[in-house]
Amino acid sequence: MTDASPGGDAAADGGHEVARGGDDHDFPGTGSIKRWFVTTNHKDVGILYIVTSLFFLVLGGVLAWLMRIQLLAPRALGEGILAPVAYNQAVSAHGLLMVFWFLSPFAFGFANYVVPLQLGAKDLAFPRLNALSYWLYLFSGILFGVSFFQGGTFSGGWTMYAPLNVPTFTPDVGASTAVLALVLFVASVTVSSVNFLTTMHRMRAEGLTLRNVPLFSWTILLTAWMMLFAFAALLAALLVLSSDRLLGTTYFAMESPAGALLWTHLFWFFGHPEVYIVFFPALGVMAEVFQTFPGRRIVGRKWFILAMVLVAIQSFAVWMHHMFLTSINLQVKTLFMITTIGISLPFDLMVFALIYTMLKGKIRFTTPFLFVFGALLLFIIGGITGVFLGAVVLDYEFRGTYWVVAHFHYVMVGGVTALVGGLYYWFPKMTGRMYDEFLGKLHFAVYFVGFNLLYFPLFVAWETPRRVFDYAPELAPWHQLATVGGFVLGLSFLIMFYNLFKSAFVGDPAPDNPWEYATTAEWAVSSPPPLENFDGTPTYRDGHLEFIDDGEVAPSEERSGGPTGAAVSDGGVTASATRAVTADAELPTAEATEVEGPSHASIWPFVLSAGAFLVLLGLSPLQDAAFPEGMVGAAYATTAVAGGVVTLGSLVAMGLEPFHGPVFEEGEAWPFAGIDNGKVGMWIFLASDVVLFGGFLGAYVFTRVAFGWTGWEPIPSDPIPGLVNTYILLTSSFTVVLALVAAEKKHKWGLVTSLGATFVLGIGFLVNKGLEWQHLFHEGLWLSTNVRASTFFLTTGLHAAHVIAGLVVALYLTARAWRGAYLEDSRSVEYFGLYWHFVDIVWLFLFPLFYIL
Amino acid sequence: MVSTKLYTAIYAVLFVSATVQVLVEFAGLSYWLAFGVIMVLSAAKAVLVAAYFQHLRFEPRSLTYLVGIGLVAALALTLAASYSLL
Ligand code: HEM
Ligand SMILES: [Cu+2]
Repeated sequence: MTDASPGGDAAADGGHEVARGGDDHDFPGTGSIKRWFVTTNHKDVGILYIVTSLFFLVLGGVLAWLMRIQLLAPRALGEGILAPVAYNQAVSAHGLLMVFWFLSPFAFGFANYVVPLQLGAKDLAFPRLNALSYWLYLFSGILFGVSFFQGGTFSGGWTMYAPLNVPTFTPDVGASTAVLALVLFVASVTVSSVNFLTTMHRMRAEGLTLRNVPLFSWTILLTAWMMLFAFAALLAALLVLSSDRLLGTTYFAMESPAGALLWTHLFWFFGHPEVYIVFFPALGVMAEVFQTFPGRRIVGRKWFILAMVLVAIQSFAVWMHHMFLTSINLQVKTLFMITTIGISLPFDLMVFALIYTMLKGKIRFTTPFLFVFGALLLFIIGGITGVFLGAVVLDYEFRGTYWVVAHFHYVMVGGVTALVGGLYYWFPKMTGRMYDEFLGKLHFAVYFVGFNLLYFPLFVAWETPRRVFDYAPELAPWHQLATVGGFVLGLSFLIMFYNLFKSAFVGDPAPDNPWEYATTAEWAVSSPPPLENFDGTPTYRDGHLEFIDDGEVAPSEERSGGPTGAAVSDGGVTASATRAVTADAELPTAEATEVEGPSHASIWPFVLSAGAFLVLLGLSPLQDAAFPEGMVGAAYATTAVAGGVVTLGSLVAMGLEPFHGPVFEEGEAWPFAGIDNGKVGMWIFLASDVVLFGGFLGAYVFTRVAFGWTGWEPIPSDPIPGLVNTYILLTSSFTVVLALVAAEKKHKWGLVTSLGATFVLGIGFLVNKGLEWQHLFHEGLWLSTNVRASTFFLTTGLHAAHVIAGLVVALYLTARAWRGAYLEDSRSVEYFGLYWHFVDIVWLFLFPLFYIL
Repeated sequence: MVSTKLYTAIYAVLFVSATVQVLVEFAGLSYWLAFGVIMVLSAAKAVLVAAYFQHLRFEPRSLTYLVGIGLVAALALTLAASYSLL
């Protein structure tokens, strides 16, 4: 599916005020299987994320065990349990699965569950898009799983360096499928980022200014911002790579100027922010738990937040520290060494704030605290060893060794450690039951020992070359120790699974707030919270959380908080929580039936994701834009077409489905106060699309600089077809403007005509482009002719894909307008216009760059 | 908001300036001068479309900053990556 669709939906989801009441979404209880396929509730989606991510943890873990067994002794080719290519696949798939399909989704499970509660929102801004994110994530993971069975999955490492990533070196169909699975995953992430950013900026309870937002939510906010931009750059990289693999363009081919370097730039521009994207939520858990169990508000809260904001910004300015051994010039290496040192400073501040908070409080050593405390220690070791790598001269030595492997496992799995703490921390809230404290502590002890037994020896044996199963024999004892540690660490999770699984059914019932001193809003509602989170409208107007009666609810009853006061925003306000209903003893109200109010069920996110899955699976065996010969090729092509039909059909169905998002009264909405959720979502999406095209144009400029700027002739010898297309697009932008004017004046036929004209002009644009391409093909130019032709066809092709996506929406809008829609509420037309004008703007740059200059 | 007349005027300006870009190419200026003029024209058109057709001028400034951040990120990648080759 194209990246354009999520944004297109953003307008359709949640933004509409359909006639209230009377819709028949019967919403099954949590015990019903059906519930989990149709749910759009943030808490359900959160649980789905957590469970699914844990499944991928097990999968990635088993792959790691296979590697550790292979590494018990230095092996020659063909020795050990894994064949050489199988080993490479295990290494690559392990990295990809853990980073993408386990770590971030695990964190976003908590984000889904907890953030709306902490904000005082009843759900995310676009609940159906939230369900869509989940299903895209799940299906992308399944697609990755399928890749193992298509000759073998990708084997070029999680960094997917060029030119190993092109079919010349990784020819299996499965390798392409793995790349496409990542594309689908990025679609999920983009939808999710847009949703979270809109929600977190627009839907905070009255009085909950950003300053006062709890720290876990803060980390998620910053993570979502980083995801929005970083994953757009990754999408650019992946689409170019997919095109090289499937269509035959030659960006990353050996013979292209600086092709390998281009990949490292695109990948690490994403990759460095990515390491903070996986780490920040863990930091958020640490911050929450470090306040709850020592019973202290965090020291220097304002500075802590400021440091995180700085890190989030700086994370986009250090990427070349992963490229110290490439041919980039020395000045730029020095510059990035300095920025790398710079980024470690705010981290120091955060670490000290956490330590100080802990020292000033009176610690209670519960399981969540133990995990989070362990995580801090591990992170400190990982951070210090990272500073070594940030120094150019030292990195000349360490690059490509197990020092790097040990470093990033300390930081990343250190993050996992904190998130596991988060799982214990929020488990009572999610299930309404307590876990077994003894087993929790036992888990921690075994985990911590296993962790260090596994990763510390890797520092000692740092001279082992990375991703290779042969090493100096004298290092073998360290590797054997690590293998033992790997099994201890992995098996420690059995204790957790047993504990949590059993406790979810027979654990002691959990009160609203099982942790004395926990002060964030999720602890002020029942465990688990009711379907719509709060009985009444939450507000922080008077500096603490209160619930305003929605009317017929029972009269509110004042309750006093704990010893330090149950300050319900951790922003420094101390006060009591007021609750409308004190149903402590009552068990989940989650299944409470609701007659009216927001919808919670839609099957279309699931169907849409299944369709997208089929499309990508169907396209996976393409090479040089051709399906394989014979039955197999035909079967794949059919799959792709069927998937396309399902995708389109479910998009339309989703557009037509009456679905209303959460009702919300505008509270704090900085900096987007007064702008509709749908519009904010659309702009946030467009900002990511700016980076997507930025990545493509950046790739073009970079390649052209490497080639010699002025020696590079534009592909079309004649700029006139391009100029004609510029005229067409400008005119179509103008007709979209006229459409909106007509809609606002309630001129039905003016609206229909303008939208129809836009559609026709868009078709004209595509026809003209098709003719031009035809002409170029006849001249003997093809995508694979040279990198000049590749950049021309792919960049303008991506733009054309945006036009096509826009036309699908235009057609839909025209048909609805024909039947009288949009005269009362023209927002859908407006949001479509924003997208369409953006596509126009992109062309305003493509035209001169690819036709004239 | 904006009158249809102003929209039409902007549309005319965009149309003409696209034409001028091609004329500049054939005007026989030095490559880099032509490059500069053409890119400035593109940027000016983009600003017009964003300010009026996407009516960013009449929205809270935060939306403009939002797009600006995306733009800065894209430019940072392009310029720093290209510079690293030199
Ligand atoms: C003060 C903090 C840090 C510094 C100075 C730092 C520095 C570095 C450097 C210079 C490298 C490149 C090494 C090489 O390939 O030769 C590296 C690799 C890496 N770092 Fe860090 N790092 C820090 C924190 C983190 C954190 C917090 C994470 C993640 C949670 C992380 C994850 C990674 C990963 C995944 C790699 C390996 C990339 C690969 O596969 O090649 N780092 N680090
Ligand atoms: Cu980095």
